[in-house]
Amino acid sequence: MRNYVAVVFDDTRKAYKGLDALWQLDNAGEITVHGTAVVHRDELGVYQVDTKETHPALATAVGVGIGALLGALAGPAGAAVGAAGGAAIGAATGGVVGATTDLVRADTRGQAAYETRFVLGSGQSAVIADVSEDWTAAIDTRMRDLGGIVHRRAKSTVRDDSWLDDPFPYPYDSYLYPYEYIPSEYAW
Amino acid sequence: METQIKDALGHIRADVQALHGAISDAASKRGGVIKADIEVIPQKAKTVAESIKSSMSAQKDATKKALAEAVTHLEATQKHASESLKSSGQAFQTSIREALDDTRSAARKVSEAVAAKRSAESTKSPKK
Repeated sequence: MRNYVAVVFDDTRKAYKGLDALWQLDNAGEITVHGTAVVHRDELGVYQVDTKETHPALATAVGVGIGALLGALAGPAGAAVGAAGGAAIGAATGGVVGATTDLVRADTRGQAAYETRFVLGSGQSAVIADVSEDWTAAIDTRMRDLGGIVHRRAKSTVRDDSWLDDPFPYPYDSYLYPYEYIPSEYAW
Repeated sequence: METQIKDALGHIRADVQALHGAISDAASKRGGVIKADIEVIPQKAKTVAESIKSSMSAQKDATKKALAEAVTHLEATQKHASESLKSSGQAFQTSIREALDDTRSAARKVSEAVAAKRSAESTKSPKK
């Protein structure tokens, strides 16, 4: 089954251990990972998505997309609204994640700040992944061992049409690295 | 946890991932993309696409379909990377961006092929 997974950890280094563990599960043939990214929130509540991109507009696009996906997967309002509406709620969440360089989206910030604090607390990080898994135990067990909390949603139930009027209309998958990318500051 | 020995599909997947890594590394360089880094991309994309084509006949339908789509994306990578070498400024950046998106799509299709193959093998000999 094809799923989006978000695994929340208490800090960024643990999140990268989690990301590495996902790719190890892939190497062992337990699951197949199609893409991953890490989002973190510092003690001041500022979000960051680790990416190689340096262009501010692209940084915003990546932040908005990953944030939207995180909200769609794990946001409380998203869960309450249901599968189709979840992505739209997540979109508001994503506005904050990527909005540090995008003042135009300021109207979504208040709502997003409210939503995202339920998903990712200050100082926490989350691994976002697109995976194929025949059973969920492989990821659940490994991530639990590492101290992560797993959120999961079938990819087919996450509607990715909330960006039709967005200046960066990239689908969610565009923000995930198709291999294990760990920035040098977190490598071990 | 045991790491599986890579089969032909595993090597192809690693090659496409490396191609994406090379383009994204070049695209993220400060002061703009270095053209010398991009010059090798069309040939690399072509080599991987040829490698996929030669391995397709041994695969089952679902795997084969995903691999065929990966080839289409890699051909687009070749096209956009080649175009970038003939352009400059915004057009250059746009072509690089498109080449990166194409390669990401190719990598995704190859990983889908891997998933289809693993799933089929798992059905044949389910885990206990």
